[in-house]
Amino acid sequence: MQQIIVQVQMLLVALSGLLPLVREEHRGRAGEILAFAGAVLKASGALAANASDLARKLTDVRAEVESMAESGRPVTAEEMEGAIARVRAASAAFRAALEIAEGAAP
Amino acid sequence: MPHPIRALALALALAATPACAAFEAPRLENPVAAARSVDQRAYALLHAHGAIVEEARDVVADPEAPLALKRALGQAERAATPAAETLQIAVVAYVRARSDFDAAAHADQSAIARAGAALTAATRHLGEALTAAERPVGELEALVQAARR
Repeated sequence: MQQIIVQVQMLLVALSGLLPLVREEHRGRAGEILAFAGAVLKASGALAANASDLARKLTDVRAEVESMAESGRPVTAEEMEGAIARVRAASAAFRAALEIAEGAAP
Repeated sequence: MPHPIRALALALALAATPACAAFEAPRLENPVAAARSVDQRAYALLHAHGAIVEEARDVVADPEAPLALKRALGQAERAATPAAETLQIAVVAYVRARSDFDAAAHADQSAIARAGAALTAATRHLGEALTAAERPVGELEALVQAARR
């Protein structure tokens, strides 16, 4: 996904180089369209990076649980406490980030 | 050509269509499906929920992400995390009951029976908490997945 986005961004840069060939009255509008497309790509690139990160994290958890299941080993109290601590930390960080986003909203 | 920009946009969209069609979003694993016991299911669900909330935080911290999406994530997290907290309480009670049952292995029959009954109740309660948490956690995961498409 990241490769596709980089390629499309390069294409946009190349198209921007052709802007002087666009007629004077359309040039501003064409520039705005290219700038908008660039912003959308940037956002989708960040979200795609998140996607692969989430996929990796869930794969790691699944591998650990598969290993436990295959060996028939029960989850220890320390492992449970680690999972609980992760949820608490993630939730606190999420709510703090949401508060900042709400505060920055117009 | 009366609308060269529109024609160019259409041409670009058409050119990009095969690449978009070929693209597959990374498949998300379901750790809970790999578990064989109730404690493993709880462990998997708690870790999966933690990972999903971590990703949701990244979306919310992204200045480019729409505010409506951030608010929807906030609403879903407020529903999912209390269910995960109830699951945490049930997990702690289950781990304690299991430990008591193991410790009672060499005790008299009545102590074993009491510890067994307590473990059965804790297991049932944990199963109920798991069932209750799976839906809101799944909804938050679906929203995080939708946010990145």
